[in-house]
Amino acid sequence: MAVSLRSSLHLVSDPRNLDASVEEVFQMMLGVTCQRHLEPVTVEGESVTSVVGFCGLLTGACIFRAGRSVAMDMAAHMTGMEFDTVDDIVKDAIGEICNILAGAWKGKVPELAANCGLSVPAVITGRDYHLHVLSPEFRLVHTYRFEDSFFAVTIVCDGLQ
Amino acid sequence: MSEIRALIVDDSSVMRKIVERSLRQAGLDPLVVNEAGNGNEGLEVLKSKDVDLILSDINMPTMDGLEFLRQIRAQNLAPGVPVVMITTESSEEHVKQAILAGAQGYIRKPFTSEQVKERVLPLLHAV
Repeated sequence: MAVSLRSSLHLVSDPRNLDASVEEVFQMMLGVTCQRHLEPVTVEGESVTSVVGFCGLLTGACIFRAGRSVAMDMAAHMTGMEFDTVDDIVKDAIGEICNILAGAWKGKVPELAANCGLSVPAVITGRDYHLHVLSPEFRLVHTYRFEDSFFAVTIVCDGLQ
Repeated sequence: MSEIRALIVDDSSVMRKIVERSLRQAGLDPLVVNEAGNGNEGLEVLKSKDVDLILSDINMPTMDGLEFLRQIRAQNLAPGVPVVMITTESSEEHVKQAILAGAQGYIRKPFTSEQVKERVLPLLHAV
């Protein structure tokens, strides 16, 4: 019988799955507590964004965006190294955080875990850019507090079978 | 514990370092680590070096972790050496595929060093 996610849309789009995934990944991989932040925040001009695509029963992407200094702090927690520039190691670290987050998020719904693949991460750096997805099925955009800094995670679904 | 020679295969250099750190925290010391960025590079390492343990990601460019496993067995490289997959893929189907391809262990990312210890040490003691 063909597997469908339509009947599980409420589970797939449940915002608590994203929050639980972010908290779990930061606790286990960086050793820090990280919680959702509901107040508006100012984001640094220069930022690092990682995108991991979903394919299969769900198409879309997990998008992780942090300011330059936050990205370097996260990479420092992961590697034990110090950074004063967004070098390849920092980009690699942010790509891997996004990859693990995407995997943890899809793992919250068994049908999704088994029938949705992940792309390798793409990392974008720069300032004043926007990512647009036209007419998504659903979109979750959450901001989280990491120590005294903030970052955003977006799950965008542009197709669901 | 005598010296352990590990091969860590992951396209992320940061993850390779994290896995290495987790192995040391699990008590694998002294530890000699060989690294590879994908399955092809992993095969090349195995053709030239002896290892006691292989840890591999699944989703990698060029050659993924499952094909890497199949090639290890097909080319009779590292006979008897335990292979543990460390990956974001967590479904039963992925675990089954990995076991069928020859993996002895499976660790889902994110992971703790305690989980690495629980899954890896028994395999080394069994060899």
